[in-house]
Amino acid sequence: MTGLQRHLGFGLLVVVGFAALPLVITERYMLGEIIVFFIWAMVAMNWNVLMGHAGVFSLAQLLFFACGAYGVAMSVTFLELSVWQAIPLAATFSAGAALLVGMACLRLTGAYVALLTYAIAATVHILIITETECFTLIRNNCQQLFGGSTGFSRFDDFGFRPLLRGNWVLGHYYVVLAAFALTIVAVVVIIHGRLGLAFRAIRDNVGYASSRGIDRKTYQVAAFAITAFLTGLAGGVYAAHFRFAGPSLFEFSTLMFVLAMVVVGGLGSTWGPLVGTGVILIVVEVSKEMGDARNLILGLALILFVMFLPKGLADGADRLMRKMTGRARRGTEEKPPQET
Amino acid sequence: MSQNVKTSRRGFLRGTGGVAAGSAAMLAGLNSAAQAQSGEPIVIGCPAPMTGAVAADGLEFRNGLQMAADEINAVGGILGHPVQPVFVDTESRGDDIVIQASQRLIDRDNASALITGYNLETGTAMHDVVADAGIIGMHAMTVAVHDELVMSDPDRYWGIFQYDPPETMYGTGLLQFLKQLEDDGQFTPPNRKLAIVTGPGTYSVNIANALRDDAADFGYEVSLYETVVVPVTDWGPTLAKLRSDPPGVIAVTHFYASDQAQLMNQFMNNPTNSLMYLQYGASLGAFRDIAGDNSVGVLYSTVIGALQDEIGTAFADAYRERFGATASPNSGGQTYTAMHAYAIAAALAGGPGEPYEEDQNRLVADRLKQLIYRSPVGTMRIKPDTQSAFAYPTETNDPSLGMPHIFSQIKDKDRDGVLIAPAPYDVGSFEMPPWMES
Repeated sequence: MTGLQRHLGFGLLVVVGFAALPLVITERYMLGEIIVFFIWAMVAMNWNVLMGHAGVFSLAQLLFFACGAYGVAMSVTFLELSVWQAIPLAATFSAGAALLVGMACLRLTGAYVALLTYAIAATVHILIITETECFTLIRNNCQQLFGGSTGFSRFDDFGFRPLLRGNWVLGHYYVVLAAFALTIVAVVVIIHGRLGLAFRAIRDNVGYASSRGIDRKTYQVAAFAITAFLTGLAGGVYAAHFRFAGPSLFEFSTLMFVLAMVVVGGLGSTWGPLVGTGVILIVVEVSKEMGDARNLILGLALILFVMFLPKGLADGADRLMRKMTGRARRGTEEKPPQET
Repeated sequence: MSQNVKTSRRGFLRGTGGVAAGSAAMLAGLNSAAQAQSGEPIVIGCPAPMTGAVAADGLEFRNGLQMAADEINAVGGILGHPVQPVFVDTESRGDDIVIQASQRLIDRDNASALITGYNLETGTAMHDVVADAGIIGMHAMTVAVHDELVMSDPDRYWGIFQYDPPETMYGTGLLQFLKQLEDDGQFTPPNRKLAIVTGPGTYSVNIANALRDDAADFGYEVSLYETVVVPVTDWGPTLAKLRSDPPGVIAVTHFYASDQAQLMNQFMNNPTNSLMYLQYGASLGAFRDIAGDNSVGVLYSTVIGALQDEIGTAFADAYRERFGATASPNSGGQTYTAMHAYAIAAALAGGPGEPYEEDQNRLVADRLKQLIYRSPVGTMRIKPDTQSAFAYPTETNDPSLGMPHIFSQIKDKDRDGVLIAPAPYDVGSFEMPPWMES
């Protein structure tokens, strides 16, 4: 069995496990939190592909997430499309935006990419929150073209409420799970396929990769566009689930929140961001009970991870596994031969 | 000063004092008559912005709700069941966080009602969560979009109440107030220029736009319409524009108390000969804390603020005694009012329902719609079609039947602003700000 097949099989197990979860968990709040997990995990996994595998230190990933969310909100509000039409459109728009950002970053590397991408995201954020002119009136209320500082709300969602009534959240759950499954397949195929090899070759040694015919510019722009499409998809389902898209989606605190998921999980791994998302969301959930101490606990958890597990949980688990198998192997070697 | 509505102030306050005492007695009476007293607590959820940009307000919402719950529990709770408030921080963020917080309070904490002041969301984030769970929701978002939504589907949104009037009252309310000052000879603007400074939020923009659209009808010319990025600490660029073309009146509809305080600190370095009106934020103790002496002379208004009559003053004194001298009864009074009103309505309905017990909660909603509750912030009477509170004097000329849009002026940095309009709640009169030429 190849690495790709093994990872796809594991991904299938993850998706099947989550698909069966509503048999055990019926509370709407918990199902809602798992939906949030799916969405942030999608963003974290794609960010990991771009940053951990392709080596592009982009801070515009939340901008692409917002492109997806705003794309859905604006398409449904102004063009009267259904969310089912709007989501793929918004994801494509997100990929288009990433193409432009990716091309702008072509001549840059490392920290300069981070600076430029953050500057672009911050500029868009400021342009949106300072917009005050009414584009139209919705329920006699001023609605700006890009939503202003409060954003868009109350547009149509997936349409499960009349169909499933009190269980509408189950409809949302399985739609977002489908998007999550699609992301897992795409990310695993990229990381463990030829594209992932090319990404890592560029990340590790651009000169050597170029000498073997791998064009940095093409692959860097491709990494931007592919991950932005899937991140935009996450933004689209987020908007459709919450019926909301606003500038808080890509402000600095949200950026740090998702970045923490990637770092805690393990940059450059396959499943680390998924685990990191789960860990951060559990820490957030537990610390909600503690009121004002929440941010302190989240910060403390981050410091501990950076100090003791700088390569994330994935690397920690990997080392633990190697240590255990190594010890087991040594134990086997040290055993005296059995007499028969 | 007095507005168009002429009422005998002393006689009116005498009458309403009895109503307030009666409401507590009513709850105690209902409790003593209750047959079944299991003592199971009634959970009231409060999704409020307790960290972030508007935490100053969120913490007061928490305090106000807690104080009301303690008072209710002291007279036996609601039909023998103690009230147990549970708070979730919405981090001064948008709809998504408010929706998650609200759902958590319902599913995790089994909240029978959600009561809050406002959150930094689009104005209707709580509505569907409340409607889906079949419970009561009470908020003071002060937005017209609430009215529009409730009227669009009253059968779905039967349980969500805005216990203050919408923001549409503010724009024309300010212009009418200025006209009244001029008519009474208390204020003659140095010129007819009006500068409007707004934040980017819908609430601030709606008020600013209403001011801009109606200014000409009141003889004002809008000389500046400026949008600031929030939170804002450096007011230099905006002040430079104001100083290059000094207006007679400056109206700031961006409402964060700390930002407004910074504005006053920087404005007073070189003030223009302009009347300074600050939307809502100046009503908070945090504003006077930061601005200090620079706060004196500022005008502000709110459609839900603690009155300075017998009921309001008693509440403010008790509130400060409990939460400290710098606590702000203006915002604490909001959730305090809603909690008391809910308790009476629930008791009258035979007790609150739990989440998804729609029939019982509909009875509570019916009682709330019929309730006329005189609180420290004025009278809460719900309009049956919009499920928002009636505004006085804009929507009713009877002060006992509407929540007053009150105008205040800060005259002492250590005290709340003095309420100068409308009658019969006014306790002082307008004075020219110290920086203006009389």
